[in-house]
Amino acid sequence: MKRILIAGIGNVLLQDDGFGPCVVSMLEARYRFESNIEVIDLGTPGLDLAEYLSGKDCVILIDSMKSDRRPGTILLYRMPEILHGQVAPGMGPHAPALMETLLSMEILGSAPADILLVGVAGESYEPGCYLSEPVRMSVNSAIDIIVCELARLGAHSALKRSCTEPDIWWMRPLPVQRSQGAGAAPNTEMSTKIVLTGA
Amino acid sequence: MTRRIKIDPITRIEGHLRVDVEVDNGRISDAWVSGTMWRGMEKILQGRDAREAWLFAQRICGVCTTVHAIASVRAVEDALKLQIPANAQYIRNLILIHHALHDHVVHFYQLSALDWVDVLQIPRADPNKASALAERFSSWTRNSREEMKAAKDKAARIVESGNLGILTNGYWGHPAMHLRPEANLLIFSHYLQALEFQRKASQVVAALGGKTPHIQNLTVGGVANAINLDSEAALGMAGLESIKVLMDEVSNFVRNVYFPDACALAGYYSEWFGSGRGSDRYLAVPDLPRDAHASRFDLPGGFLCDFADGAASRCVKFMDGRFRESITEDVTHAYYRGNKALHPWKGETVPEFTDWHADQKYTWVKAARYEGQPAEVGPLAQVLIGYMQGHALTRKWTDAALDRVSSIAGYRIGIEQLRSTMGRHLARAIRAAVLADLAQEHWHLLADNIFKGDNSTHNPPSFPDGEIEGVGTHEAPRGALSHWVVIEKGKIKNYQAVVPSTWNASPRDKNSVRGPYEAALLGTEIADVEKPLEALRTIHSFDPCMACACHAFDPSGKKVGTARDL
Repeated sequence: MKRILIAGIGNVLLQDDGFGPCVVSMLEARYRFESNIEVIDLGTPGLDLAEYLSGKDCVILIDSMKSDRRPGTILLYRMPEILHGQVAPGMGPHAPALMETLLSMEILGSAPADILLVGVAGESYEPGCYLSEPVRMSVNSAIDIIVCELARLGAHSALKRSCTEPDIWWMRPLPVQRSQGAGAAPNTEMSTKIVLTGA
Repeated sequence: MTRRIKIDPITRIEGHLRVDVEVDNGRISDAWVSGTMWRGMEKILQGRDAREAWLFAQRICGVCTTVHAIASVRAVEDALKLQIPANAQYIRNLILIHHALHDHVVHFYQLSALDWVDVLQIPRADPNKASALAERFSSWTRNSREEMKAAKDKAARIVESGNLGILTNGYWGHPAMHLRPEANLLIFSHYLQALEFQRKASQVVAALGGKTPHIQNLTVGGVANAINLDSEAALGMAGLESIKVLMDEVSNFVRNVYFPDACALAGYYSEWFGSGRGSDRYLAVPDLPRDAHASRFDLPGGFLCDFADGAASRCVKFMDGRFRESITEDVTHAYYRGNKALHPWKGETVPEFTDWHADQKYTWVKAARYEGQPAEVGPLAQVLIGYMQGHALTRKWTDAALDRVSSIAGYRIGIEQLRSTMGRHLARAIRAAVLADLAQEHWHLLADNIFKGDNSTHNPPSFPDGEIEGVGTHEAPRGALSHWVVIEKGKIKNYQAVVPSTWNASPRDKNSVRGPYEAALLGTEIADVEKPLEALRTIHSFDPCMACACHAFDPSGKKVGTARDL
């Protein structure tokens, strides 16, 4: 059985950079997976990424991208584009590490044979624990792509009979609405919408 | 002729750091260090439930996750004057130790060894001689001729292919690279093995912390781990044993590979004990508490302001009164409004960007000061302070390291020479060896306490109505870290993180006193201004992580150095 990793990458404090972790949480809430499939929010792993990729046959990474394309556009990359630096990652400190990680794994001969990077063109990477509207609207597309990729790999995922609540803790509303200060009100709204889309 | 060189970016992975140096007759005559982007991450914490602060804090930086989580949870506990159970201290300590060991090994092999090891020399190495050399330094079982041969073939294939991959950006063939081929091969073979062992350190963190890179087991008042000797699901006999197996493998690698390699590198490049001295003032916070009250620590903290005098003042609590009062941040040369040096609880972060001006504002990093003066933080600071205070483990491993280095260099290298570029690398290896010993110690403390029947891991917090202040510290892999929190009715009112790189990468202050990176660069010889490898060596010796110092990242930038005439 192929060992498969599905990992969301990005900083959840920098708006659209939180796309990867968000997609992974939604995916876990809706689907159940065979035991050979590991689903994880890696946040910003830097060079440690190698530790998670190693020993895997196939890897699906979800990340935000720096791109001139319309925000929310899904961009797909495979190994050659990543290794040749044709990928412009988003804003996290993980950014330059993906290429470096795969290159160093190549030296060791432990790079995964199959990799799919599901990227989204971000709109904003300013501090904030929510996704921009266009990027939020692309969460479902990313999930569909992941499910298709799993099918292509011959791996099984199944819709849960009833969805669990996704654990997107960073988008939970602030405990007390402050009279002033940015972020409070939109946070609440984002959080609610995301959950509804998922359900 | 004076030339000014701009090196941008300077780190291999972590964030965005720019260094401008003036080179006069082949030596650096002045230096300016800048963090080039800013994000007010602390603002994200305002208004949140204080019990959740650590969850957000550990996402501030992609490299130093665990350390922010721990400093944050300690800050809230300090504000509440809330003690945590002994088991919680030990579990946290084991996580911190293995996070640090992972970090130090990654820094040495992945992030800085290639400043010193010339990969192009490896195909000329004799695996037999490399193996014999390795056996002189250590009894490590994987120093055989076959291991060396395999590493050599790997390097040769990469070099022949012309596609250097991860190794593309090295300054290969630089005149300041002078290891013989066998030494290059030896360290390269361990560079390959390190990837395997650093993973084991992460597995210890994951076993206790639930997950990596972001641990999940912290809670204000302790840890969320359930302890039950008879249960498979909770932390019990089986769990403790499997952690011990991983720990032993990590310790073995640190003692028999990393430590000897760092000593060998230092011996071969002993001229680098004469470069990169820095600010000459050192700060470390105590860590690894041995009891619930945090009344005794296994890692010493203190402040060393006069090396010749040899007296390191002692910090005996997490944050004693003197430490609490003595830290300020000066923004005279940083892109923030104002020019006052403010205490972190009173800290303001109002950005005011004015472009790069050598004599005005030139960085997003604030100038952290201790009693009004710069201070270097990190393994070197901790080792010097521990040594001066007579800390037994620090003395043991420092003396062992200096003996090894001196015998390879062929002349005596003393503790005073640790204040240098190579001294920082050596101090990091010394600290790793100390931590590997302490890992065993704290595993036994935990196991003994559990066997005595103590299963408690958590004391529930209760938040008062009024305003409270707290500070949480942690002696992180890159040095003294402090989180400063103001809480009102259980919600965060103000939050400031004074991270290690704020100390080390700090700019000049209102008195024009340079920060540690800047001071360390002065006098460094630069053989080729187009390839300023020597400046990189000194900056890398600090283990820079700008990601959280300026709360910012930018992935662009392939250039390593650009030079222009002044």
